[in-house]
Amino acid sequence: MKVLIVDDFATMRKIVRNVLRQINIENVIEAENGKHALGMLDKEAFDLIISDWIMPEMTGIDFLKACKEDEEKKRIPFIMVTAEAQKESVLEAIKAGVDNYIVKPFTPDKLREVIGKTMVKFGRQM
Amino acid sequence: MDVKYINPFVLAAQAVFKTMLGIEVAMGKPLLKETRTTSGDVTGIMSLVGDRKGTVAISFRGKGAIFVFNTLVGETAEKVNADVVDAIGELTNIISGQARKEFENNGINLKASIPMVVVGTEVETNFITKLPVVSLPFYFGVNNNGDKEVMFLDFSIE
Repeated sequence: MKVLIVDDFATMRKIVRNVLRQINIENVIEAENGKHALGMLDKEAFDLIISDWIMPEMTGIDFLKACKEDEEKKRIPFIMVTAEAQKESVLEAIKAGVDNYIVKPFTPDKLREVIGKTMVKFGRQM
Repeated sequence: MDVKYINPFVLAAQAVFKTMLGIEVAMGKPLLKETRTTSGDVTGIMSLVGDRKGTVAISFRGKGAIFVFNTLVGETAEKVNADVVDAIGELTNIISGQARKEFENNGINLKASIPMVVVGTEVETNFITKLPVVSLPFYFGVNNNGDKEVMFLDFSIE
């Protein structure tokens, strides 16, 4: 599985990469914001996108919408990672078409569970 | 010192350390800070607005901050560097988010700023409110020798 992690904080990208490593997902590419990620999605194939919510230049919501409006990118499962557990943030993401979300803090097992359920929605496996 | 403001932070700190760092924290005795300064060497600070306003500051001594970075990221930092500072900012963000979820469960809705991290000891901090700053110390083990470090969770909310 090839995963694209999108977050403006390099350390947070490393944290998510570390959690993915603990569930045996090693093929991970990083992007520092939504615009950068869109460029990478144009050039490489990915199996999963894991994106932060609050980012400068292009927010997670705007990045999500850009993916879901694209015929190719919308086929890639999209998981939002957020520290915002408030209902309106989650609802906004669901309306925009997020495939799943996970709220920090999360364990490796929780991330595995969320990824597994998301891939099943797309008829795929981890 | 209203317990309804303390409990969300206690639950948040315990949950975040358990899930993201895989370790338990034990809270020490809460106290009122005499100075409006940072409690440790590396401090993440976030403002809170909404049904209440205030500030939360999460502070570590250098060794504790490095331990947090090493555990979260799976790399080894030898000193407090930009990556360690980032990690403390992110931990502050996560604990604040978890605490705000607990506040919301109690009918208090809060939004938070993006965290700022300061490096230095006893840095003067504007906690926004005029109320005293409550300091909650949380102790955690950093190795098999029984060495402990402390996280200070300081807040003032009105």
